[in-house]
Amino acid sequence: MSSSRRSRSRETAVFALAVGALIIGVSLILLFYGANVLKAGNEILTGLYPPIAVTTQGAEVRNLYTVIFLIAVAIFLVVEGLIIWTVIRYRRKPGDVTLPPQTHGNNIAEFVWTVVPTIIVIFMFIVSWQTLNSVDVSSSSAQTKIRAVAGQFQWTFEYLDQTGTKVEYTEFQSLVAKGGGMYVPAGRTVQLQLFVSPKDVIHAFYVPQFLFKRDVVPGRTTSFDFTVDAADAGQTFRGQCAELCGTLHSTMLFDVKAVTAPEFDTWLAGKVAEANATPAPAQSGAVGETVHISASGIKYEQTDVSAKAGAPFQIEFENKDAGTPHNVSIHQGSPTGTEVFQGAIFNGVATKDYEVKALDAGTYSFVCTVHPTMIGTLTVK
Amino acid sequence: MATTTLTPAASRYSALYSWLTTTDHKKIGIMYVVNSFIFFFIGGLLALGVRTELAQPGLQFVTAATYNELFTMHATFMIFLFVIPMLAGFGNYVVPLQIGAPDMAFPRVNALSLWMLPLAGILLLLGFVTGGTAAAGWTSYAPLSEDRPLAAVGAGQDLWIVALVLIGTSSILGAINFLVTIFKMRAPGMTLFRMPIMVWTVLVTSVLVLMATPVITSALIMLFIDRNYGGAFFDPSRGGDAILYQNIFWFYSHPAVYVMILPAMGMVSEILPVFSRKPLFGYKAFIFATAAIGALGFSVWAHHMFTTGAVYLPFFSIMTFLIAIPTGVKMFNWVFTMWRGQLMLKTPLLFAIGFLTMFLIGGINGAFSASVPVDFALHDTYWVVAHLHYVLFGGSVFGVMGGFYYWFPKMTGRMMNETVGKVQFAVMFIGFNMTFFPMHELGLAGMPRRIADYSSTAGWNDLNLLATIGGFTIAFSMLLFLWNVFLSLRSGPVAGDDPWEGNTLEWATTSPPPAYNFDHLPEIRSERPVFDARWGRVAEH
Repeated sequence: MSSSRRSRSRETAVFALAVGALIIGVSLILLFYGANVLKAGNEILTGLYPPIAVTTQGAEVRNLYTVIFLIAVAIFLVVEGLIIWTVIRYRRKPGDVTLPPQTHGNNIAEFVWTVVPTIIVIFMFIVSWQTLNSVDVSSSSAQTKIRAVAGQFQWTFEYLDQTGTKVEYTEFQSLVAKGGGMYVPAGRTVQLQLFVSPKDVIHAFYVPQFLFKRDVVPGRTTSFDFTVDAADAGQTFRGQCAELCGTLHSTMLFDVKAVTAPEFDTWLAGKVAEANATPAPAQSGAVGETVHISASGIKYEQTDVSAKAGAPFQIEFENKDAGTPHNVSIHQGSPTGTEVFQGAIFNGVATKDYEVKALDAGTYSFVCTVHPTMIGTLTVK
Repeated sequence: MATTTLTPAASRYSALYSWLTTTDHKKIGIMYVVNSFIFFFIGGLLALGVRTELAQPGLQFVTAATYNELFTMHATFMIFLFVIPMLAGFGNYVVPLQIGAPDMAFPRVNALSLWMLPLAGILLLLGFVTGGTAAAGWTSYAPLSEDRPLAAVGAGQDLWIVALVLIGTSSILGAINFLVTIFKMRAPGMTLFRMPIMVWTVLVTSVLVLMATPVITSALIMLFIDRNYGGAFFDPSRGGDAILYQNIFWFYSHPAVYVMILPAMGMVSEILPVFSRKPLFGYKAFIFATAAIGALGFSVWAHHMFTTGAVYLPFFSIMTFLIAIPTGVKMFNWVFTMWRGQLMLKTPLLFAIGFLTMFLIGGINGAFSASVPVDFALHDTYWVVAHLHYVLFGGSVFGVMGGFYYWFPKMTGRMMNETVGKVQFAVMFIGFNMTFFPMHELGLAGMPRRIADYSSTAGWNDLNLLATIGGFTIAFSMLLFLWNVFLSLRSGPVAGDDPWEGNTLEWATTSPPPAYNFDHLPEIRSERPVFDARWGRVAEH
């Protein structure tokens, strides 16, 4: 008996040593990788909460999160504490061969831990339902109506008129850094319609700071309202597709740019006027050669084209992807180099001619502004 | 063995032959377990590939296309070729022993169920050499899984469909086998309310499999027709409905979550009483809770679809909340089984306690996704990845590990090494929490699941690195596990019939049990016949 007791205590010591060594080892690895352990610890504590909501609907979701979170933490502490205390308190004493009392159950206890959780979950359901009725709404009376059109693998934003059917202006660029993004008037309710071509796949519109997402399902149109707080005007929020949609799923980013309502109206009026302006007549009989580039399946079909140095030339760009916006932009050297030309973005299937001014000899990259993974090389000589 | 006159080579060959052709439920059960562990390690390697890619922002390790294959195959292997067959394997080994039966009701069907699994696994793996596996996620939502440009054009998706139909058929056959065995082959005295909880959980699981699996088979066949014969069930551009696929898929796949957790709950319910030296607290309440989970499990499928805007939200929300009640009943019954017991802190109990502490988190955070507005924020983010791993790893894998340490002496006749076992538990427990706890926070911070890359300025770098280190820590604990199995098979101490002072009938026969299991059975007067035989009825009071 004594020998087995000794071996048991030795086992425990080995166990404790192993756990200690592991914790130290892991901390060392973290330090080695330059991660600040204290900062990480702080992040873990504060990270159990969603970001501050920037919409009134999101703020309601966040309040609901607080209710559920507090209940969850209370239940977690009680039950986890009970488990740990039980395990420590009722360890078998070495050498004890007697049987503990053979309790088979207790009906009162079963009743209590059936009824109390029932009350708790029904309470959580009711508060959730109340919040649901105020955050999941779509009102046709909203003053601003925008349609987010998802596609593999980009977002375009169509600004609609009051009827919510006619498109007044289409923004093809989804990132503010590239001069695009979805502009929204802070303090005003926006009805957002979601649309995707039936030939496309499922996407999801997700902005973490809205605490909201909604799937964009081919064959269905859905819509919801959101109201960005007036105080958040001037801020930009990053959004992302949240439903696996294929190879470039992780590149389907977009920005939401909140501006004050007057700024928004001015911006939109300017964009609408710009779009309605008569396009400059195409130079007939353009000088120089014509370079043909076509795009299909989110790829350029030509990855190597060439043009003559020092003379203007024409790019005949054929977009074969139905409903998908593409263009051709030319950058010096690498695809992230200085942009020397950007052609208009347009939906397929269509063909447009771009007039490109004379370029110096050298190697350029051509890139689709909407899909940064579409890359080719233009050699000017 | 020693008396055989065959040459060693021939005897080894015939031993192999006897395993390949056996209809003995014990050998089939062990082969289920071994086969499941092989796919567990393959699935684990794929997960390490995922974690390696996500350790830092940028695409360094694989391409985005390969990344989609990695997580799709990781989940497919873990769900369909590890968790579900692993639990079926333990059921196969344990259920006939625990009800005092000589074998399963249909031994040949049993062998058929087993051998369909490696075949399905090979079909899935073939995707890697035929131009790419399925890459539309384990859910394979249409239209991304349809044969169209920028979607699933390759043969991998078809191989995936065929493999899943095979696995489904194997599950259905297994479920029928379990049900007939449990209802028709119990030993005299083994009434339904004297059956061990493990048998009850396998019973309820088999009902779920039998009712739900044909439904997903229909979805898979419809998808196959869409892809290969010009059907349009799920293709909106030709009049089909993308949401229809999700409804059919989750009608199976939510009950499948209970298929993946109930038998693990059964294992924990076997381990806790034995190592507490007390009966299970609230035996009947536990059975009713299991049946309630099974029944409610069929009415919650659309909580996976809250954000589609195409389901009736309040109904699925309240049903999902309600499922917390029987789950809570189980949790309290487990804790009060240990309460005032004499806990022997051996490896199986450590894993069972690991199950309780971690499944608790997985269960509680289920309440967040049951709340529709909160789910709008959390759905399809890493928060869900955290939640499902707290249920399926913190729950099922810890349960399976506990069950393995618990029944290994019965299966092999040898004990596993306690020290290595405890160290493995500690490493796995820490690695598990390092990997999956940060994912809650990544999800709350807005990181969607299934993305190959993320921006370095999104603020997700540290937590992703931590999760990756945790992933490799789990892998290390698995090496310890393999080492322990190797060590114990070679030179583990001889176990004897009943090393843990067990309660149920498998401990009333030799380790390993002979063909057809029992020479004679103890009298069955409660759910603990072996306990009764050891202590007599005196101990009841």
